[in-house]
Amino acid sequence: MDPESASISSSNGPGLASAPSAPPSQPVIKKAPELPLIERRNWLIHLHYVRREYDACKALIREQLAETHSMCEYALYVQGLIMRGEGQVQESLEVFQTCSLINPKNPDYLKQIGRSLFLLARHKSASEIYSEALKLDDSDWKTHHNQGICWMYLKELGKAKESFKKALHLHRNEKSFVMLGKVFLQENDLNMAIDVYRRAVEYSSENPELLTALGLLYMKVESYQKAFEHLGNALTYEPTNFEAILAAGSIMQMHRDHDVALTKYRIAAAHAPESVPLWNNIGMCFFGKKKYVAAISCLKRANYLAPFEWKILYNLGLVHLTMQQYASSFHFLSAAINLRPRMSQLYMLLAIALTHLEDPENAKQAYEQAVEFDQTDPAIPLNYCVFCYNNDLRPLAVKQLTSFEQRLNAMRQKNSMAQIDKELLEVAAKIWRALQVGDSSSAESTKSPFVDTQLSAVASQTQTPPKDPATDAESPRQPAAVSPQSNEMAAVDNAPSPPVNDPAILDKAEEARQRATMRQALLSGD
Amino acid sequence: MEDKFRDKPQKSQSDGDSKWLDAHSDPLAALYSFTQCMTLADLHGDGEHKLVIADLGTGAYNMKLKVYKGTSLMSENTIIDLPTGVVTFLMDTDEPRTPAIAVASGSYIYIYKNIRPYFKFTLPPLPVNATEKDIWDQVREDKIDIKTVKELLDGIRSEVTESGLTTRTQRFLMLAPGDVEEFVSQHKHSPLKRQTVITCLDTLRKSMADDDAVSCLVLGSENREIYVLDPEAFTVLSMLQIPSVPVFLSVSGLFDVEFRIIAACRDGNLYTVKRDTTVVKPSAELNTQPVGMVRINKNVVVGCMDQTLRCYTTKGKKLWTVQTPAPITTIELMDHQRHGFKAVLVALTNCQVHLYKDKYLVNVITTDSVITGMKFGRYGREDSTLIMINKGGGLLIKILKRTAQFEEGAMVAGPPPAQALKLNVPKKTKLFVDQTMRERESSVVMHRMFQHDLYRLRLNTAKSYVSSLESSLNPISSSLSEPVKLSAQVQGMGPSFRMNIQLTNTSKSTPSRNWFLSFQYSEAIYKLEKYYIPVSILLPGLTYSFETRIECLTDKGISDQIKVMLIKEDSTIPVITAVISMPVSEGQELA
Repeated sequence: MDPESASISSSNGPGLASAPSAPPSQPVIKKAPELPLIERRNWLIHLHYVRREYDACKALIREQLAETHSMCEYALYVQGLIMRGEGQVQESLEVFQTCSLINPKNPDYLKQIGRSLFLLARHKSASEIYSEALKLDDSDWKTHHNQGICWMYLKELGKAKESFKKALHLHRNEKSFVMLGKVFLQENDLNMAIDVYRRAVEYSSENPELLTALGLLYMKVESYQKAFEHLGNALTYEPTNFEAILAAGSIMQMHRDHDVALTKYRIAAAHAPESVPLWNNIGMCFFGKKKYVAAISCLKRANYLAPFEWKILYNLGLVHLTMQQYASSFHFLSAAINLRPRMSQLYMLLAIALTHLEDPENAKQAYEQAVEFDQTDPAIPLNYCVFCYNNDLRPLAVKQLTSFEQRLNAMRQKNSMAQIDKELLEVAAKIWRALQVGDSSSAESTKSPFVDTQLSAVASQTQTPPKDPATDAESPRQPAAVSPQSNEMAAVDNAPSPPVNDPAILDKAEEARQRATMRQALLSGD
Repeated sequence: MEDKFRDKPQKSQSDGDSKWLDAHSDPLAALYSFTQCMTLADLHGDGEHKLVIADLGTGAYNMKLKVYKGTSLMSENTIIDLPTGVVTFLMDTDEPRTPAIAVASGSYIYIYKNIRPYFKFTLPPLPVNATEKDIWDQVREDKIDIKTVKELLDGIRSEVTESGLTTRTQRFLMLAPGDVEEFVSQHKHSPLKRQTVITCLDTLRKSMADDDAVSCLVLGSENREIYVLDPEAFTVLSMLQIPSVPVFLSVSGLFDVEFRIIAACRDGNLYTVKRDTTVVKPSAELNTQPVGMVRINKNVVVGCMDQTLRCYTTKGKKLWTVQTPAPITTIELMDHQRHGFKAVLVALTNCQVHLYKDKYLVNVITTDSVITGMKFGRYGREDSTLIMINKGGGLLIKILKRTAQFEEGAMVAGPPPAQALKLNVPKKTKLFVDQTMRERESSVVMHRMFQHDLYRLRLNTAKSYVSSLESSLNPISSSLSEPVKLSAQVQGMGPSFRMNIQLTNTSKSTPSRNWFLSFQYSEAIYKLEKYYIPVSILLPGLTYSFETRIECLTDKGISDQIKVMLIKEDSTIPVITAVISMPVSEGQELA
């Protein structure tokens, strides 16, 4: 207890206060008041800041800055962070620049300047600042990562990849994996993107977002088995993940597992009751279960929410066709054609509707369009053939039947596993016989059965087509993806965020958007 | 001994929470304090635990060290600067075993024994830049001109940055030129020191793990250092530089054997310091700011600014993350020794305190205001007491009922509840079904009828378009020789209105002459003040205004259209026409 003599003040509490800051060891005659330390209140500022008590924090900062003539780095720094969190990005930039002037050797300030510049969409300057920061501190993966995002927006994909790889080299982290995957997606290099996401999933196997993203990518390259596996995993870790539910549900629908899909959609419906693709998919589930009225209800809701989505109109046309409401079907289909004038299946359905509306001339025209626009789908020439047969256009019927055979063979060669609808083959066999045997007298008798088979052929064809929406999925995605500017704007809006992890938040906002569009593309066509 | 505290418990229960008793509530306690500035200890060795709170007062003055006993304030000691943290610890082996209070404040630690000031420890000063020292030495001996001093110091600043300077230099450089002399003469004789600020404080048992063993003080500083102090001699036993400023400390082990200090820092990382550590590397990256940290057995639970509660092993592996419904203000360990129950109390900005056992929410306490400081432990003679300070400065004390049981792991993994909900499929009426049946039966007729009508509609549209073009029934003149734009507005509630008509000649250079405005209206309903307005000239580019009063003659609440026509004096076909739908007259004519 040696220092006792030096500093015990034997009086009670206030006594200690009354002889304040005189350093005990100093025998002072004329004592100078002790100077308050500039950083003495940093801890309190920090504490209020992390508790989000911004009002108290701002008052404290004001006081501190007045006392130190704006020379307190940390107070300025937190002021900048709060400003940015409240949306004053430009002002925050100025504050951080002041910080950096006071202490040019601290890379944190440069990083925050870069961040503010990035939020102001000045990617080029941001990237330059990040380079500066890297000169001071090369070991921070976040700086590399953020710089990579800047490169990405500047369309310097090569440099972006390099930055993300550096970030990953320094520290394996999910965010950089996700961004790297996105760069590959921008380059349309699906396989590399899948590879990156796979590594990310290996690193962090319980992240539902990553698993979902990987699942969606697998769906894009049509390996549904793997896709389903990953989506299933995602749902194990987060049973309410909206995207995963929709994607997994759509795969279930492909396998006609409508009941399971519906139970999953219930969760999604509670989460996003106004989602367009969701109601579209629910509608098609009911359609698959032959509950046509419910199907129409759901599809109409989807259509109400997104009146310009051609896939919903297509589905509505299809369901009404099945319900033998040919006039309504005609309207939905022609609306869809107005939105997507080069989609052959739409013309085919239109032709069928027109046939039933006893307008063979227009029906024939529609068939001609359909055959012209699509060279692979065997159902189109088959339906056309049936139509020709029923309308006594025998030579044309034979021609279409051969075309059907060719397409069928082409399909088999391309993919031996391809499932070909049995009904298609049956109808083909029937019409083949009719054309072989049939002379004009027997045509009379076969006529009516064919009207039926024709319908069934069509219906079954269109129920199956996970394929055609998937292939066509490419185009509707574009309208959303073409407008990166609007995406960016939204990202800036989302930006106010705690300081350290901001890249993630930015990314997520954008990612969700992209994924939403992708999901629509992949799913809504069923 | 009188024990007010135990006699008091009121049976009223807060907000449907049956596990806690309200023991005491003082909304006017006016405390400005945080979790780290509160502690509970048996200060007098009489078995009754007191509550020690370092109060930040107004944040600028009136800082006090307050000791509560039961429901009343027992003593108050003034503190000079803002208190950063308070701990109690045993500094020697004397009997009776009464712990000392340590209050960290600025660059000092004030030690109180028996609630009396006892000792002041000053953090070891940091090295001062040699040139800087040299300059001030010269100043002391008056060998140097003050202006030169300023220039020289400015030079040093750009070299070693602001934080590398002594406070005296920093202040000196801030001064207005007039105050320099006085400042220098006042300070030149005191020794030059560079000091730092304590940011957090904790204790570490020295050589024995007993409850009443001697403990060392552990503190973190603004200069990114962690110190361990000897409890008796107050010398620095160990000092280590870490990469960022520590904010929260979590200490375990024994100093003489093996210890582990986990520091949550301002850069959002957790750093671990052990007995033999020399270079510190982040053990976990939070990617957000920590708001509080507690240790449960071998794991640390960190409350983060992004509304998550995360659990890490001491090695830095993340075990789980829980999303909280609102931002966290502070967290505190609930160690119920008798039940062997350890959980984390998390105060949120939505005026609730959530209790998490592992990752499961087991209890919610609702309060009137946001809680900013919490302490759980033995108070008075009651083992499990929760002390809370809210944003308004009120003090709340709750006691855990002895019968209270928290159900652990109540959450069972299974399908989310939403899966059981029925889908909200829109219902369809009988009418819908009837319509469907009708369409099925007569779709061909419907379709044809529709197509027919559609063609008629298109034809009619085309026809009226042509006729409007022919009779100039549009407000913008289509003739190329006389491009004029007309717009008209009606003002007023009725029965009298005013119509403003604006004409613009949109041609580039040709003025128009000798036109007039005329009106076509139903004379039974309206009376116009002017029904002929001459327009002598329209110069290109300018907008001309004309106006007329309109009286509505009927009180039947009907309205009609008025056509405004711009006509050339020698022609019978209007150049342009505007059709104005008059509003219904709402006013009554003054009788």
